[in-house]
Amino acid sequence: MKKIAWGLIGLSIAFLVGCSAQGGQAGGQSGQAEAKKYPEKEITLVVPYAPGGASDSTARIIAKNMEEKLKVPIVTVNKTGGTGGVGMTFVQSSPNDGYTFGYVPVEMTMHKALGLSELEPSKFDLLGQATMIPAAITVPADAPYNTIEEFVEYAKQNQGKIKVGNSGVGSIWHIASTAFANKAGVQFTDIPFDGAAPAVTALMGNHVDAVAVSLGEVKSGVEAKKLKVLAVMSAERDKNFPDIPTLKEKGFDVEVVGWGGFVLPKGTSDDFKKVLADALKEAVESDDFKKFANERGMSAVYKSPEDFTTFAEQQFKFFSDFIPTLDLK
Amino acid sequence: MEALGQLIGGFETAFTWWNLLYCLIGVTVGMLVGVLPGLGPTTGTALLIPMTFGMEPVSAIIMLSGIYYGSMYGGTITSVLINTPGEAASVITCLDGHPLAKQGRAGVALGVAGIGSFIGGTISIIGLAFIGPALAELALKFGPPEFFALMIFGLIMVIGLMGRSLIRGLIAAFIGLILSLIGMDPVSGAVRFTFGEAHLMNGLDLVTVAMGLFGLSEILFGMENLQKLDKPGKVKGLLPRKEEWRPTLNAIGRGTGLGFFVGLIPGSNSVIPAILSYTLEKRIAKDPSRFGKGAIEGVAGPETANNSYCGAALIPLFTLGIPSSPTIAIILGAFIMHGLTPGPTLFQNNPDFVWAIIASMFIGNLILLIMNLPMAGMWAKIAAVPPKLLYPLILIISIIGAYTVSNSLWDVGVMFVFGIAGYIMKKLDIPMAPIVLTFVLSKLMENSLLQSIKMFDGNVLQLFARPISGTLLVLSLIVLCLSVIAEVKKKKAGFASDVEM
Repeated sequence: MKKIAWGLIGLSIAFLVGCSAQGGQAGGQSGQAEAKKYPEKEITLVVPYAPGGASDSTARIIAKNMEEKLKVPIVTVNKTGGTGGVGMTFVQSSPNDGYTFGYVPVEMTMHKALGLSELEPSKFDLLGQATMIPAAITVPADAPYNTIEEFVEYAKQNQGKIKVGNSGVGSIWHIASTAFANKAGVQFTDIPFDGAAPAVTALMGNHVDAVAVSLGEVKSGVEAKKLKVLAVMSAERDKNFPDIPTLKEKGFDVEVVGWGGFVLPKGTSDDFKKVLADALKEAVESDDFKKFANERGMSAVYKSPEDFTTFAEQQFKFFSDFIPTLDLK
Repeated sequence: MEALGQLIGGFETAFTWWNLLYCLIGVTVGMLVGVLPGLGPTTGTALLIPMTFGMEPVSAIIMLSGIYYGSMYGGTITSVLINTPGEAASVITCLDGHPLAKQGRAGVALGVAGIGSFIGGTISIIGLAFIGPALAELALKFGPPEFFALMIFGLIMVIGLMGRSLIRGLIAAFIGLILSLIGMDPVSGAVRFTFGEAHLMNGLDLVTVAMGLFGLSEILFGMENLQKLDKPGKVKGLLPRKEEWRPTLNAIGRGTGLGFFVGLIPGSNSVIPAILSYTLEKRIAKDPSRFGKGAIEGVAGPETANNSYCGAALIPLFTLGIPSSPTIAIILGAFIMHGLTPGPTLFQNNPDFVWAIIASMFIGNLILLIMNLPMAGMWAKIAAVPPKLLYPLILIISIIGAYTVSNSLWDVGVMFVFGIAGYIMKKLDIPMAPIVLTFVLSKLMENSLLQSIKMFDGNVLQLFARPISGTLLVLSLIVLCLSVIAEVKKKKAGFASDVEM
């Protein structure tokens, strides 16, 4: 009896082990199968701005690099309108099956404070940051001031007389110049243009006295020796312009940068998110993207889903506090 | 002379097999993009940029600029044949191009547009090559106040397009003005007339509106008369009649000058020279009543002007690094991506590059002329297709075109609404040209006025204190006074212009 009992136990153990081993294998297989299964078809990337702009080019190059890693095509679709609101809302309301993701610029964290839409970071699953571009306080090359201190001094003597061009009311560069003016204790007359390029053109023609738009927009003017940059508004000096000081090191505690990142519809599975985030990280850190970013005056900066979420929440809080003080409308 | 030598060097580069091929691809894609409504040169260039990554910089820019100026040729075709503008610059061509097609003279309209485009394009490239750098500094003098004055001048000229009844013309003009108010006010950021609809925040799209007003209403109107519709006349050749040559060539000459001048001004777009040219032609014509019924100058002038604009608009880019229109901003992006910085140093540091591009543009324009003249006859046969078959086709093309504007059904809806509105306005005899014209001009005008007021700290009279804006405003006043005097003199016969569409 004992023998039989032992035999049975032995058999059952062997059976169980076999089962669990098989179960383990099966589990492993199904896990692998699932990982393999995503992505199994093309992924749609929604860009909320028109083709050709900085946002669109960034998104397309990232998409091209991510395709190589994911081995499925990424189809870039431009859904324009509502100063980006249409496209971003489209992503928000897309199915969270991992086959739709979107590009978002800094404006995503500003829309609610500006009253443009109900968008805010908590309505998305944040995937990661790709780019960063600092505001650059830029004046004509023949202006009488050569440093940011001299400029502030001049502005103090001419309160309200300095005309500063920006890329539209409530745009990130409007906020940059106002935030700087507040910290420096000066007052500018803001002149909004339809985008940063016309503002820079007006600066070259001496129709305005300064602009605080992105470094990329003023790069060719600086290289043509028509403009000079007095300071950048990022935390650290820019790699492309190492001689230009930051506002922080000059004692003005203000930092305004533009950035671009990617988001998923809320509730996308963590496994899918990880696959995409890994592909995004590789795409941002690739040499050709770094080269592209540098040529455009941007920096390729990757932030993981967690870091990007914290960062976007901080930005959202900053703009929600700051924009109401601007007295728009 | 030195420049001439360099240009010949440029031809050497441009005449290599690969560069010729890229030039051909560029202008062909440009033609197609121009033909398809909704798909404009901006989208066309943007979508092809990723394809250029692996190319030599020279070849890449040759191809992209080919799309840019090629699209100006293509847009004409749909305007003339089916009254649906293929891209914004050809909206004006509908006014006289389509009536010509109805008379069986579509070939002539397309032929003249092709010849005018070639002349305008080529002369403005010569300008770009030889006098561009000197003129670029002048262009910078155009700030918001000058721009405002130019827009006022344009609007005053539009009075000439009011149609047979001044009241109806004014109604149309004000509809256009009101439509242009929709969307976010660029200066205060206030959102106007959007009824909470996010799609309206950036305002209405010109091509969508024009497709509805011109193309769709044409179909609706035609459907009504499907039984008794005049059979389109036979296609009668590609060249104007003997007595039409002189006015046509004069119109081409004036169009070239206007287009080149406007092209220099940053912030302008290719619709403005077309509008100015059309109104100018109508004003100086001996018999303005022909306009709107198939006046050949009404096609020749604007079509030349928008091509001449293209070459000149590259001057601020090549010499100062300033993109003066969205499409050029994309070409600027391509320059940067290929490691070149447009600006004063471009001609000095990369002369081979610049001259090769310029040479390729001569070649591209020639290719386009060769492609367009013989093909004009083939295209023109489309006008002879029975409406039963043609209308559904136009409808499909229009819907796809409207959809591509922002990849959403919203614009398709907008087009239908304007199609119905256009139909009703045709019934009420309200001219549609002023709607489109004021729509284009007033947006830019409002921006620049508000910017100027901020610049002058509220003192509007400062507008007259600046030489360029002062001159333009005084000129506008004179034109306005002359119009009023003419009106009083001729009593009711004034503005004797029957723009019928």
